[in-house]
Amino acid sequence: MSQGYLEIININGQASIQDLGRLNAQHLGFSASGAADEFAFLSANKLINDTLAANKISIKHQHNIDELKNKKSHCAAIEVTLGQVSFEAKAACIIAITGADCQAKINNIAVNNWQCYQLQTGDMLEFAMPKTELHSYLAVLGGFTCQKAQKPWLGSYSQTINEMALGFTGEKLTVGSKLYFSAQTKVLTESALEKTNKPKEANKPFKAPSQFYAQQNLTLRIMPSSLFLQMSSEQQQRFLTTDYIISPDSNRMGYRLGDSRSQKSPAKSANEKILSEQLRSRCLLSMPVTYGMVQFPDNEQPIILMKERQTMGGYPVLGTVMQTDLFRLSQMRPGEKVNFTLISHQKAQQQLTAFYQKYCL
Amino acid sequence: MRKVSVNNMSSYQESDTNGAENSTQLTIEVVAENALLLSWQAKISLTQHNKIITLQAMIVQQLGELIIETVASYHCLMVYFSPQLSTSTQMIDKINSIAKNHHASLEIDKGDTPKVKSLHGDCIKIPVYYDTEQEWDLADVAKRCNMSMDDVIKQHSAETYHGYALGFTPGFCYLASLPESLHLPRKSSPRLKVPQGAIAIAEQQSAIYPIESPGGWHIIGQTPLPMYESKNGQFNTTINVGQNVQFYAITKAEFIAIQQGLQT
Repeated sequence: MSQGYLEIININGQASIQDLGRLNAQHLGFSASGAADEFAFLSANKLINDTLAANKISIKHQHNIDELKNKKSHCAAIEVTLGQVSFEAKAACIIAITGADCQAKINNIAVNNWQCYQLQTGDMLEFAMPKTELHSYLAVLGGFTCQKAQKPWLGSYSQTINEMALGFTGEKLTVGSKLYFSAQTKVLTESALEKTNKPKEANKPFKAPSQFYAQQNLTLRIMPSSLFLQMSSEQQQRFLTTDYIISPDSNRMGYRLGDSRSQKSPAKSANEKILSEQLRSRCLLSMPVTYGMVQFPDNEQPIILMKERQTMGGYPVLGTVMQTDLFRLSQMRPGEKVNFTLISHQKAQQQLTAFYQKYCL
Repeated sequence: MRKVSVNNMSSYQESDTNGAENSTQLTIEVVAENALLLSWQAKISLTQHNKIITLQAMIVQQLGELIIETVASYHCLMVYFSPQLSTSTQMIDKINSIAKNHHASLEIDKGDTPKVKSLHGDCIKIPVYYDTEQEWDLADVAKRCNMSMDDVIKQHSAETYHGYALGFTPGFCYLASLPESLHLPRKSSPRLKVPQGAIAIAEQQSAIYPIESPGGWHIIGQTPLPMYESKNGQFNTTINVGQNVQFYAITKAEFIAIQQGLQT
C-alpha cells in the first residue's frame, strides 16, 4: 500500500517523533525518551479517536489494523518545540494539534488549538512561535513515522538526540523530511474525511486544557528519597521553602534549577547547606535513575531528570517529582519559578493511574 | 518544625550464619509511581553484584508481566512495574518474598573473593591499541600515577574486570575494578568528543565508549571491536552486565588489520 505523508517545508524550531518511549530498553543503556508532555500528546491522539467515534466510524471491520487498535491511544506524533515549522500535505489526512499554542494556520486561515482537522493534498499547515509554553503536538490518525514502512525500535518510535547517530530511529527532522502516515489507515482516513472539520469551520475547543497547566508558579509534588528522610528537619524545610528559577540550560534531558535568592547572597557556609557533607559522602557510586528524580550536585542547584535522561546517575537524589507534575513542568520556560512540596507515593500512584484511565491506558 | 516521615521504605535484613559482620541489608524504596529501587551496601563487590543479578533474573521470571524493566548497577537494582496492574505496596511484598527465597537458595558466601567465577561464562577479550601518538591521556595518566606508559598498559591489561552496569549511552558498560595504582578522579572538564571504541578510566572503573560522545574519563587507548550489534530489530551489547572482561595490547598495524577485517 502506498503511504501518504506530510513534508517539512520550513523549520526553525526543533521537531522530533515521540510516543510513550522505550522504558524497557534502559538495561541496554537506551534513554527511555518519549513525549515531554504526555497530557498534550495523549490528548492529540484522543481528539482523533473521539472524532472517529463521534462519527460512528468503527475500526472494527478493517483488516490489518491490529497494531493500530492496540496503540490507537498513543500513536507516534510530532513534538514541535517553540513552533516555527510548516508542512505540506502530500495526501489527505486527519490531524490533531495540541500543547503550546502555535497559532496554527491551514492555508493561511487561523485555526484553534486542541482541535482535529482534515487536510487535503496540497494544504499548507504552519506553526508560529508560541507565546507561552514550549511543546506542541501534531498527531495523525495511525501515527507518524519518518521512514516508509518503519518498524518501532525496541518498542517505540521516539527519537533521542544523543542516540540519533546510532541510526535506529531515522534522521533528525529537517527541511524536506517526510512524515509518513501509517498505510493501514488509508481506507479509514477516506471514510472519516467526510465527517471531520474542514479548516474553515474552526469550532468549539476541546475542554479547557488550561486547567491542567500551571498558571504561574508551579509547586512540584515530590516523593522524598531515603536520603531526604535522613536530613534534619531544618535542612528539609530549607529545601521545601526555597523558590527555584528554571535555568536556561534546561532541555528534554533535564531541568536545571537555580535558587532565586542566590544572586543576592554570597557562597553558602557549611551550616547553610541543604545537604550535609556527611550525607553527601554516602552517595558516590553511580546508580540507575528514573523520570523526575531530583539530583542535588555539590552546588546545590537541583537537576530534575526529564524524558531524555540517561539511565545512570551519580549525584545524590532528594526525591522524585510525580509524573503528572512533570508533564506540567515540561511546558515551563527558563525564568519561570517552581518550588517543592511532599506527596506520598500512594497518592502519586493513584493520580497517575487515574490520569492514564482517561486515555484507556 | 516537624520532621517529615513518609512510609515508603522496607528493609529486609539477610542474616548470615557468619553473624552480623557479613550480613547484607536489602532496602526497597519506592522511587516513582512505577519504580522501586532495591539497594544493598554502597560498595563494589563481585559477590554482592552476583547476588543482585541473580535476584534480578528471579524477579523477571517470577513476576512476568507485572515487570516492565529492571536495571542493575554496582549496588542497586531498579525495578519498573506497571502501576495499572499492581500497587507499589503489593510489589514490595512480592519482591521481599522472592528475596527471602533467593537468600535461602544461595550458598553462604565467604566474604569477597576476587576470583569468584562470572555467572555469564567466558571472559571477553578486548584488543586495545594503547595509543601514544594521539593527544589522548596515556602520557598524562602515566605522569599523574607516577609510572611509565608501559606500566600503565601492563597494569590496565593485567586485571580481569567485571561488567557491573550498562548505561550512559547504549552499550556503555561500567567495568571494575581498576588496579588502585591507576585510580584518578574524572577529568575536571569533559571532552566534547570521545571517539568510538575509546578505552577510558576513571576512579575504580574502566569502560569502552560505543559511539562518539562527550566524556569525562581519561582515554588511554582504542579498540577496533564494535561494542554492539543490531540484527532484526534486536540490540546486542558486546559486554553484558555480569560478564568478565580482559584487555590485551595490540599494535597500530594490528588495530588497522582488525578494523579492515570487520569492514569486509
